[in-house]
Formats: sequence, C-alpha cells, structure tokens
Amino acid sequence: MAAPRQSLPTLRQLLAGVHMRLILFTVTLATASLLLSGMIVIRNYASRNLQLTAHTVAYTVEPAVVFGDRAAVLEAIVSVAAVGGIDRVEVREPGGPVLAAWNHPHGDLHSRFEDLANRLLWASPAFHPVVRGGRVLAEVRVYGNSEGVLRYALSGAIIALSCLGLTVIATRILARRLQRDVIEPLDHVAAIAHAVRTDRAFEKRIPSSGIAEIDRFGQDFNALLAELQGWHAGLTSENAELARRATHDSLTGLGNRALFEQALGEAICASVRSGVAFAVLYLDIDDFKAINDRHGHDSGDAALIAVAERLRSSIRQVDSAFRLGGDEFAVVLAPFHNRAHVEGVVARIHLAMERSFRLPSGLFARSTVSLGVAVYPDDGISPSDLLRRADAEMYQMKRHARYEGETGHGADA
Amino acid sequence: MALHGLMILTAALAGEVPAPAGAAELVSAAAEGVGGGARDESYAPATARIVGGIIEYTRWPAQAGPLTLCAAGPTRRGGRLDAVRLADGRAVHRREVGPVPSAIGGCQVLYIGDVQPLVLRQLVAAARGNGVLTIAEADPACRSQAMFCMVYEPRAVSFRMNLDAIARSGLRVDPRVLRLAEGGR
Repeated sequence: MAAPRQSLPTLRQLLAGVHMRLILFTVTLATASLLLSGMIVIRNYASRNLQLTAHTVAYTVEPAVVFGDRAAVLEAIVSVAAVGGIDRVEVREPGGPVLAAWNHPHGDLHSRFEDLANRLLWASPAFHPVVRGGRVLAEVRVYGNSEGVLRYALSGAIIALSCLGLTVIATRILARRLQRDVIEPLDHVAAIAHAVRTDRAFEKRIPSSGIAEIDRFGQDFNALLAELQGWHAGLTSENAELARRATHDSLTGLGNRALFEQALGEAICASVRSGVAFAVLYLDIDDFKAINDRHGHDSGDAALIAVAERLRSSIRQVDSAFRLGGDEFAVVLAPFHNRAHVEGVVARIHLAMERSFRLPSGLFARSTVSLGVAVYPDDGISPSDLLRRADAEMYQMKRHARYEGETGHGADA
Repeated sequence: MALHGLMILTAALAGEVPAPAGAAELVSAAAEGVGGGARDESYAPATARIVGGIIEYTRWPAQAGPLTLCAAGPTRRGGRLDAVRLADGRAVHRREVGPVPSAIGGCQVLYIGDVQPLVLRQLVAAARGNGVLTIAEADPACRSQAMFCMVYEPRAVSFRMNLDAIARSGLRVDPRVLRLAEGGR
C-alpha cells in the first residue's frame, strides 16, 4: 500500500471538520437569534419602563412644579429615577428652560461605546407632560440607558463562547468515538487488502463489524477473496503443470533432455563436493524403427511407455530416468561406492525388459534395450564426455546384440 | 411617617424670593413704622404661590363653585392673594374679615395675618371642624393648631404643616404636598 499522500485528508479529519462547521453554524445561529430576540425583548421592557418612569415622574413632580420648588422637583425625580436603566431625567417648562435634571452617575465601566449604544438604542426619550387642570405645567423627558442591554449582550456572548468551547470538546470526543467505530473496521479491511496484495494471503478474512454497511462490504470483500483464492489456486496448479510439461516428456512421464542435462550437471557438482562416483546409463530400444514400421506408431508409443515404466520400476527412488527423444533414454544413478551396484541396476533393467507388454492391437510384445554405462569421474568429467562414452558403449553392445540376434533374439509379435 | 401629637412640616422654596429680601424687609418695616400693619411686598408673590398650591391640592367635602379666601387681621405678605387662580379654572375670591371668630362664616380658606397668638388660637379653633383651610402667616413654629404656617427666611419662603390639624380638619390634602413641606422629605 502506498503511503497516504499529505494532501489527502483522513476520514477522521473530514468528520471533525464537518462536525466543527456544523457546531459553529448551529451555535452561532442559536446565539445570534437568542441574543437578538433577548435584546429586542429587553429593549421593549426597558422602553415600557421608561414610559412608566416618565409617567411616575410626571405624577410625583406635579405638586413641586405647582409650588415652583425646584429642589423638590429634583428630589422627586431622584426618588423615582434611581432604579437603573435610566440615563437622564429632565423636567422642563413647556418649550422653556430646564427646571431640574438628573443624570445617571456613571461607574467606571462607562465608555464612549456605551454612550453610542445609548444613542442608538434610545434615539428619542420617553416623554410625559405634567398636566394640572388641563394645563401643561411641564414636560418630563426620560432618556434610556443601554447598560442592561449591553450587560445582557456581554453575558450572552460569554455564555455562547463557553458553550462553543464545550461543544468543540464534545465534537472532538465524538469524532474520536466515530473514528473508533467506523475507521477501525475500514482500517482492518485496508490491512487485509494490503496483506493479500503483498503476501498473497488469500486465506485471510475480514471479521464482522458492528456497522451494517461495513459488515456488508466486509462480506462482499470476503466473498471476493474466496473467489480470488480459488483462482489463485487454479493458476498455481496450472503453472506447476506447465512447468512440469516443460521439463517432462508427455508420453512417458519421464524427464526430458533439458531436465536430464540439468540433473547431470547437478550430479557432477554434488560428486565434485562429495568425491563419490556416480554413473550415467544411456539406452535405446532395439529395432524400434522396425516396430514402428511394422506395427504402426501406436505400437511404437506403447513400446516407449512400456520401456519407460519398466525403467522406472528398475531404479531406486534416488535415481532418475529421462527420455532424451525418440527411443533414447538415460538414467542418472545416485552416487555409489561399489561398481557392482551399477551392474545390479543394469541387470534389473534387462530383467524387467523380459516382461511382455500389450500393443493397442491386442497382441503382446517384448522389447529389448541396448545400454551403455559411463562412470564419473572414471569415464569423463564433463557431461558431454560422459554421454559420448555411454553412447559409444551402448553402440558397442548393440552391435554385439545384433550379432547374437541373428541366432534368435529380437522383438517378436 | 409617625404621626403623634404635633407634627410640623415646612417647605422651603429656594430662589423664589428677590435677592435683597432681608434688607428690603428691614427697610420697609422701618418705612411703614410701628405695629403689625406694615406690608412686605417682596414676599407677596411667593406667598401667593404657596397659598395657591395648598388650595390646589386640598379637597373640600362639598366641592362647588368659586372659593372664598378670607384674609383675617393685618396681612403683611398677602398682597397678591387675589391673583390666585386654580388650575381647573375655579376662581378664588378674597374677602377681608375682622380677626374675630364670628366673622369667618362662609370662608373656605382662612388666611390669618399678623395677630396676637391668643386671637390666632381663637380663630383657628372657630374654623376647626367647619371645613376651613387655615393658613397662619405669623406662626413660624406652627403652635397655633393652624393647618399650614408660612415660614419666612431671609432668602426663602417655605411652609410647615400640622398633620394633626389637617387630620382633624375634615379636608383632604394631597399627600404629595407632604413632601414639599419643611421636614417632610
């Protein structure tokens, strides 16, 4: 599996990002709407409060205005107005000078910002006339204070920020949990896919996970793996069969010339290392051409199969027989310490050839073979030397056999 | 506010009096010569305003028509009392009466001028229980059982009120006026 590129985000990052955006959007929306509606409600209440204050001030200052007592007017204002939410109260004669005015004693928190907010929130003061007997004696103007609204906005913002912090932490935790529940099964799938690709571990399977989609995916993946495993096994066996065919004779099942040369080379190497002699037998079927000509190629093939089968049964497990082509066979005998062993094998081969075999025509036949032996290292140290020697010995033996054959030996049908 | 015995309240009307009030008072007193008949016009507007206010916030049991304000005895600072107008348009008629109890019949407001304390008490006693609003000009300590007493200071005119007397008078005085009386705040 290639290392994940830096530019690609992980699923967890994606999830966390989506969550974060969602949370930010939600909290911002909720906060903004709550703050706004809260501020509107508070402002409405404050506005009503201003009206009420103006009304109360008008009622309270009325006698003081009638008596013309400015100090009493101021005292009446103070007794009503010092409740908060009010920035300034003034009582003035209709269209005339100010009789008395009271200003909110601003604390340390007062700022130009608050002044601005005051002007924005309370563009016009609450107004109420002081009426006595249908005559307007004075006018009361009450200017609002934005302190309450600002405090609400500030505390709302602080609460919103805290909520945001909490939800961000919660989002992290959720994302981690989601990762554990979703990404771990996926990681498992990825790890198995990786193992299958690199190690050909087709026998691995994905365990079931707690999520329906991933479970379905895992089951399909497992089914796919099973199919792959089947295909892989088929391919492997076909490959092995092909490889075997490349080095074996299809008719007799013996190794072919290529395998023989390889085996001979290896035997020489082994003998060089161990210092123990080994032998190569070279043989062909006597009068094979005559068999082919007289009884047909089917019979020739039957003869080849019979000879190969007898050859195989005459040698030990550690020896190996080959068909070099046509009616020529070879045997590489495993290292031996006693030359008599070779004679024994040769005798067994000849004995085995005595048994008759069945031709496709239904007749029984017997074949003899001519055989030459070359011993390494006595008869040569290179493969070609050994072969040439064995070949020469075989021809010598064949000539001898032909000479004897005129007196009765040979293939009989 | 605890009401027991004589509760006296006074109102101070700052800045209502022209600046050289004290001097003018002395000068005019010297000019007018002897006795209580000397008039002091510099306090007259403030006096009229306070008396008007008190009448304004007083309710009589039978509220009808114009009010009669009787000025009893020599009133030194009541020169503008005829100019009193009520907000609802009712007129206030001024009538000069002698400082004797028999003379105050038909008065709704009794403004008592500078008379002997004994005479003052007699007049107040005669008015009590008859629905008469009593205002004493020359009793700053308000010991005469008058409902309201004018208080003159060099630069200010204010008033006191006798809550006991008001309670027994049978008249209703707007409680907001209490705040304006001296000591009522």
